[in-house]
Amino acid sequence: MNCYEHTLIIKQELPGDQVKTLISKYQNLINKNSGKVIKTEEWGLKNFSRSIKNIRKGFYYHIKFEGSGKTIKELEKNQNIDPSLVRFLTVKVKEHDLKNVYFEKKEF
Amino acid sequence: MKRKKNFRNKKKDSKNSKLSLFQKADLKFSRECPLSGKDAPIVDYKNIKLLKKYISESGRILPTRVTSVSMKKQRQLSKSIKRARLLALI
Repeated sequence: MNCYEHTLIIKQELPGDQVKTLISKYQNLINKNSGKVIKTEEWGLKNFSRSIKNIRKGFYYHIKFEGSGKTIKELEKNQNIDPSLVRFLTVKVKEHDLKNVYFEKKEF
Repeated sequence: MKRKKNFRNKKKDSKNSKLSLFQKADLKFSRECPLSGKDAPIVDYKNIKLLKKYISESGRILPTRVTSVSMKKQRQLSKSIKRARLLALI
């Protein structure tokens, strides 16, 4: 099992309940495909440093999970065709550091 | 005469002017890496406060020759700056 960090940016126009269902959908997807979600951080609505496809703002979410290559393949396959996402990034890390918090967050 | 005086002053100023925050004025700056050793800050794409110190005003990555960061840390730094750019954090 490898450790991964996944950050995704969701469009601003989506209503609040749809955002939560979207996040729980991806959490379930990770858990189904031989993965395990460890922590989910909500960074909130943030301004972009420069506009992406004429969009200025977005909701940031950060998921820390364990999994294999298959988990990520399945996750990114689903996210590539999702119209409500602006961008996403997956990074492999050696260990999860749960101490340092760089953004104000709300646990849920 | 006045012109000549002005010219000399300008030359002096340009010698003393800094290229960046990390360079001391008298050109004898320390060669120690600020990111290695004990109690060094963590280089990470989420640590934006740190990353912002190592990019220029126009957003370019500063070279080691200016910041005196070690080779290993410079590699980590440039990678994490590029990740932060992708997420539009910087």
